[in-house]
Amino acid sequence: MKRNLALLVVGLVLLLALGLTGWSDDSGVLRVTFAWPTYIDPAVGSDFSSSSSFVNLYDTLVYPDTNGDPLPHVATSWEASADGLTWTFHLRDDVTFHDGTPLTAEDVKFSMDRLTTIGEGYAFLFVGRVESTEVVDAYTVRFHLSQPFGPFLSTLYRLYILNKDLVEANIVKPGPYGDMGDYGKAYLVDHDAGSGPYMVKEFRVEEELDMIQNPNYWLPIDADAPKEVRFIGTTEPATIRTMMSRHELEISDQWQSQEALQALDGIDGVDIAAFSPGTEFYLMMNTRKPPTDDIHVRRAMAWATDYATVMEHIFPDAIQAKGPVPQNLPGADPTVFQFHRDLDKAREELAKSKYADELDKYPVEFHWIAEVPDEEKVALLFMANMADIGIDVKVVKVPWMSVVDEMAKEETSPNIVSVFDSSHYPEAGSLLESRYHSSSAATWEQNEWLLDETLDAMIEDSIATIDRAERFAKYSEIQQYIVDLCPTIFLFEQVEKHAYQAAYVEWPVANGVVNPVMGYNLAARFIKVHTDRQ
Amino acid sequence: MSILRFLAKRLALSIFVLFGLSLLIFTISRVLPGDPVRMALGPRAPEWAVENMRAQMHLDKPLYAQYYYWLTAALHGDLGQSLFTRRPVMEDIKEFLPATCELALFAGIIMAIFGILLGAVSGRYSNTWIDNSVRVFSYIGVVTPSFVFAILFLLLFGYILRWFPTTGRLTAGIARPPVITGMVTLDALITGHFGALGNALWHMVLPAVSLALGGMAQEARITRSTISDNLRKDYIASAKGFGVPERLVTLKYLLKPSLIPTVSILGLDFASLLGNAFLVELIFNWPGFSRYGINAMLRKDLNAVAAVVMVLGVVFILVNILVDLIVAWLDPRIRLGAERGK
Repeated sequence: MKRNLALLVVGLVLLLALGLTGWSDDSGVLRVTFAWPTYIDPAVGSDFSSSSSFVNLYDTLVYPDTNGDPLPHVATSWEASADGLTWTFHLRDDVTFHDGTPLTAEDVKFSMDRLTTIGEGYAFLFVGRVESTEVVDAYTVRFHLSQPFGPFLSTLYRLYILNKDLVEANIVKPGPYGDMGDYGKAYLVDHDAGSGPYMVKEFRVEEELDMIQNPNYWLPIDADAPKEVRFIGTTEPATIRTMMSRHELEISDQWQSQEALQALDGIDGVDIAAFSPGTEFYLMMNTRKPPTDDIHVRRAMAWATDYATVMEHIFPDAIQAKGPVPQNLPGADPTVFQFHRDLDKAREELAKSKYADELDKYPVEFHWIAEVPDEEKVALLFMANMADIGIDVKVVKVPWMSVVDEMAKEETSPNIVSVFDSSHYPEAGSLLESRYHSSSAATWEQNEWLLDETLDAMIEDSIATIDRAERFAKYSEIQQYIVDLCPTIFLFEQVEKHAYQAAYVEWPVANGVVNPVMGYNLAARFIKVHTDRQ
Repeated sequence: MSILRFLAKRLALSIFVLFGLSLLIFTISRVLPGDPVRMALGPRAPEWAVENMRAQMHLDKPLYAQYYYWLTAALHGDLGQSLFTRRPVMEDIKEFLPATCELALFAGIIMAIFGILLGAVSGRYSNTWIDNSVRVFSYIGVVTPSFVFAILFLLLFGYILRWFPTTGRLTAGIARPPVITGMVTLDALITGHFGALGNALWHMVLPAVSLALGGMAQEARITRSTISDNLRKDYIASAKGFGVPERLVTLKYLLKPSLIPTVSILGLDFASLLGNAFLVELIFNWPGFSRYGINAMLRKDLNAVAAVVMVLGVVFILVNILVDLIVAWLDPRIRLGAERGK
């Protein structure tokens, strides 16, 4: 018996030793953690991790520069018709997909048709706007729009081009899309059909996406660019800290708390990269519910809010917002009026309100999102700030799903909801439309319920303007108009923070080279992993 | 009543339990606030896309019709589509359940061997320093949640000492053995991939031990208490009086009957591991069923929630039946009583 036990122990030790020899070569690997799930089907995903994977696996017609302006990419040139309804793109003839098939106009048309038919992911940018896609010849494609749409080029950063032949060969029938069966959705759950600088090596859904460099990519890739990229689905602070210290992780997710970031910053060779991703934190005020239906009450609250304390103690490094558009977004107007805490002005405004003498009858309900604990600190500070001018604020913690339900109806929308929001394409028009146009009134993006026909017309007119300078001038007018209405307390612009291995990773955002389009800052071909310093 | 009749009766009863469970979880998951399809497709998906998916999932039908569609499909092995992984839920289960089963199995083995061993030693040497040490360990083990052990082990053995890997089931770059059972260790053993087997075992140590400690402490306490009681029984004294060797008395006449309550609790603890492994799986980035289940609930992934609860229900039922059989084997009174139809 003792002999058997000894043999068992020796066997186990030998097996574990065998396991230890299984260390892989981690040099030249870039590992990034994310909040999961991630989708690698461009007609399904639209969140941060999915967008970051698309940027690596697929190509687009145009590519955003650091100002958000379009650069030629698969399309070498393009032209729009005078009425803005027809956009023609001339494609390169040397781009091939990962299986070697040439990328042609047919693939572009297929990708647009597939996206708008499925209707998920980034389809909302094109549905109702792109009427049809025409293949002019093998390397020329034309989009016919149903209405002029000025920022059309910017939305094309989200049209990821799929290999038509490969997807069609993997269609499952019958499916929900008629002749197209499932449109390749089952296949694209864990395969890519792209031409991008990286290709899927293995995708373990709910765990990890492994991508390897495309050796035949049509653009030169720096020798120090990672040979392999792994997106890992965890945001657990203890795990991140351990992985970072063991050099098993190069870039952390953006969801680490201030305390966790401080601990990560203390690890040798690890630094914190901070940049503004174009996300703003809004206190959305319901303009149809007393007392926030009165502009004087709204202005009084904007004057009484203690912006400095929020940015010093609750969200350190955040920047006070100027109006509804983050300042790094093309089309933002830096000249709009900005409130600061001034109790005299707040009381002055409040005195003009029709509720001035009966404020005690109208408590203000402030709903904050239960899943974002720091929002409670903002809510409690706001409650204390408003008590200074005699406004009674009731702070309510509400789960996100319930907030979405509440905001779907005017009568159930609370006086104030605190929400982070960002643009869908890099232009002010995106946020102006999704935040303040009447079409977004029953969604979580608008608790204000402005339903202002003049504003709607101004927004529609601006995004229909093809000339960029003229369009941006119109955006400015809209921002001034919104700030005058004071439907929102524009609290701050978020600063996104990631811990990264500064000792051996060169990440452009850490040097201030920030792309305003979500996901593009994790385009691995622009990141260098110096294996000699690893 | 023979063992077979007992089994048939238990299985028949289980069908009613599972039916009730399915009705309950189906109703609860569908009356929770929030539109699951809108959550899955995002706020900007066009209304027709949302409606299409609702129709595909029969969410546009009354609740009883939805249940009918779900039940008939489930009886044919189709548990529907996950709103978040975008795959059939059955595929998700095939991928995630073996990972947790493997973890629970190793945790269960550790729990059983060391729990019983510590309890037996403690009971045999009761009121000595050995007993006191085991009791202190047991109290700590019982009151400390497994995620605390997980974080402690992660920081100690992963961060400071760096003896063990801290994430996943295999080191990246190690080829996964061909999938037969979905359990990497077992698949590696069957297919002769001993490098992968060692690597998988090495990955298993921290999460399995973290998960096992609570149950191990519990088993140790119960075993100790039963052994202490049985030690004072007359039959032990008479066995000793008849000159039966000490080792035989301890192993055959003392330990075997003392294991009955331990085995009952062990079975329940083992089944609970499947559902309670969530935080341990999260900390060690273990792609398991428990993490999948909690994520499904947080995301209101209707089909996934229903499937997870049903699978856990089935596991609990099967483990309970298994425990009854083991207890019958351990206790002749139960076994013979059943066979005589008493």
